[in-house]
Amino acid sequence: MISGFIVKFAYWINGSQKYKHTKTFFDTLLNNPDYPYKKYVDSLMIFLILTSVGILVYEVQNSVPEWMDFYDIYLVSIIFLIEYLLRFWVYSDVHKSIVREHEKSRFLKKDFSLWVPFKEVFKSKIKYVSSPTAIIDLLAILPAYRPLRILRIFVLFRVFKLLRYTKSINQFVDVLATKKFELFTLLFLLVFMMISAGIAIYVFEEHENPHINSLFDALYWALVTISTVGFGDIAPVTTEGRTISMLIIVSGLAMISFMTSVIVSAFSEKLGELKESRMIEEVNKKEAFLIICGYGQMTKSFLRENVKARHAYIVLEKDKSIVEQAIKDGYNVIHEDASRHEVIGKFNVEYTNITVLCLTNSDVENIYIALNAKSLSRNIKVIARAIDSNMKKKFELAGVDHVLMPNEVANTMLITAIMQPVMYNGIHAILTGKDVANMDEITLHEGSGLIGKKREEIDFREDKLLLIGIQRGVRGSFIFNPKPEILFQGNDILLLMGLEMSIEYFKERYQRKSV
Amino acid sequence: MKKKAFLFGYGGDGRTLAQSLKAEKMHSQVIESSEENYNRAIEDGYTNTLLVDVTKDEDFEHLDISEDDYIICVMDDEHLNVFLTLTLHAFFPKVTIIAISDSIHASQKLKMAGASRVIDLYQVSANRIHNILKKPVATKLLDDFLSRDDGITLREMIIPDKSFLDAKMVDDVDFQGFGVLLVGMIDVELGQKFIFVTYGTSHKLDSGDTLVCIGEKKDLEKFEAHMYRSEA
Repeated sequence: MISGFIVKFAYWINGSQKYKHTKTFFDTLLNNPDYPYKKYVDSLMIFLILTSVGILVYEVQNSVPEWMDFYDIYLVSIIFLIEYLLRFWVYSDVHKSIVREHEKSRFLKKDFSLWVPFKEVFKSKIKYVSSPTAIIDLLAILPAYRPLRILRIFVLFRVFKLLRYTKSINQFVDVLATKKFELFTLLFLLVFMMISAGIAIYVFEEHENPHINSLFDALYWALVTISTVGFGDIAPVTTEGRTISMLIIVSGLAMISFMTSVIVSAFSEKLGELKESRMIEEVNKKEAFLIICGYGQMTKSFLRENVKARHAYIVLEKDKSIVEQAIKDGYNVIHEDASRHEVIGKFNVEYTNITVLCLTNSDVENIYIALNAKSLSRNIKVIARAIDSNMKKKFELAGVDHVLMPNEVANTMLITAIMQPVMYNGIHAILTGKDVANMDEITLHEGSGLIGKKREEIDFREDKLLLIGIQRGVRGSFIFNPKPEILFQGNDILLLMGLEMSIEYFKERYQRKSV
Repeated sequence: MKKKAFLFGYGGDGRTLAQSLKAEKMHSQVIESSEENYNRAIEDGYTNTLLVDVTKDEDFEHLDISEDDYIICVMDDEHLNVFLTLTLHAFFPKVTIIAISDSIHASQKLKMAGASRVIDLYQVSANRIHNILKKPVATKLLDDFLSRDDGITLREMIIPDKSFLDAKMVDDVDFQGFGVLLVGMIDVELGQKFIFVTYGTSHKLDSGDTLVCIGEKKDLEKFEAHMYRSEA
């Protein structure tokens, strides 16, 4: 009876879109670093942690007002509790396990038992609860219970909770993890020496030295001496004890320098990688950015121009020596091969507008990168350079949005320069985007003051603009020199010519709602 | 006499250029210094191709280049290209020299060597990417206007003597009525500067001025023919 009800409920949840959406939403909000709104949640949590720790420290010597207590005990702890429960909830799907097991037993025509899915769910939830971060989260909720002073120590866990929200500490731990073997060997050696020196001093001085009363005192002295800290609260008094001191001081020095060098080398090995991952994180935060593949002449020219345009970008180059050159030139470059699937996958494909520029020196590579990007998401725009004009068709088949052929562009310009020299100046100005002339487009979004108006109602000449034509939607037809009675529609793209300021002024007036 | 184009270099860029010049029915002459490229030009049907050692001055003396002609320098070797530009400028100082460069440093050198126009391959392409990012539709349309022979295109035309346009103000002429749009012009009275129509000041048209118009090819042709009439 109860089992039947639970199974029904599981099926109902399994079919509910709303439940699924809500769960995915919270999962993304808490766990997906690419999600643009996650940073607000993170900032809120960091704020709560810092204020809560601040209040507890302040409370040591001062009495705090009631509202602070209320804030700390109820608000912060409850929010932490909600966070903990949400994370617990999104970690795995209970209903899925039940549904799966139920279908399996129906298929095999055996009796369905709730125990099997419950065991599975229990295991996965326990796995979550026993993970270090979850333990910290749980302990961080506890400081709510004030009367027990010992519980104050749990405020430390609120500080540990910061770990989850600060990347640099995580990266520090990751770097150290790469030297796990060396560090463990060192630790083992340290423990071995500490114990043997501790026992030795205990045996020699337990009766002679008034400060050494137990083995713990001896071990404490050994660690303080090995680490070269030397508080001086316990000092050897016998010759034997002093001899042991000298020995462990010397070996302690060696061990500390060894440890320093291990940590330093771990960082210097990983420094490049750390910088690169930081760069990727930075660019992923942007609303739109460019991934430029290859650092050649074209990329250099593009980046020089970019000083004005200020597009956010990151350059991927697979040749190490070229990467070094690019770093010297002061650009954001990382050493990666853009044709590898996981490289483009590192970027925030889901929530940002990415444009990939394939500017390497090989058509084959450019096509491959384009396909790679398009296979990840159709939303990624690709602009590719083609060297061989016969390749254009292939680039288009690969789904490239714009194919660029430097030779062809130069060719057109040269022919124009010869055949129509006057026009050349004009075209050159337009093509290079000089401020004297600008050909620009204005998209009429819903609500624009121009929609529904006739062409003759707008005095373009008064605005010092030339309306060349109207493009009906991105893929629609182009109406050149539109007739006076033509009506402007939503999603029309007007092709205008004029000074940059005239166009900007026009945009300002007509892209807004009111005329 | 018809203008001629002297194309120095039949390498990667030179070859496509020669084809384009041929398509535009421009009378052209290919000149090469490497035997391999020379043979290729001959094979491709440019039978009047000359094999010239561009480092020797005496070879230039019997080139028949007049002031109205064009010299195009597109040698594969960047250093040779700069050297060639310098030599040609010394021999034919009044001839328009156009050079293609593939780096910003070469562009500067080519300009110093006397090239009248330098087209920087990468610079132009880089600008193009910026244009695509900023205004994709406009860039695409402009491309079409420039590269297509039929349909909507750009054209420049000189106002002939006794044209109906002579002594008229720009604002008084109904270009729209002809189905064309005036983009800009060179007003001889104001010097050789290209003036975009959108500057906002009305100009007086005179015979000898050059107009740049945009429109359907047939409308442009009709308008050009119409310019010879004395009445609108």
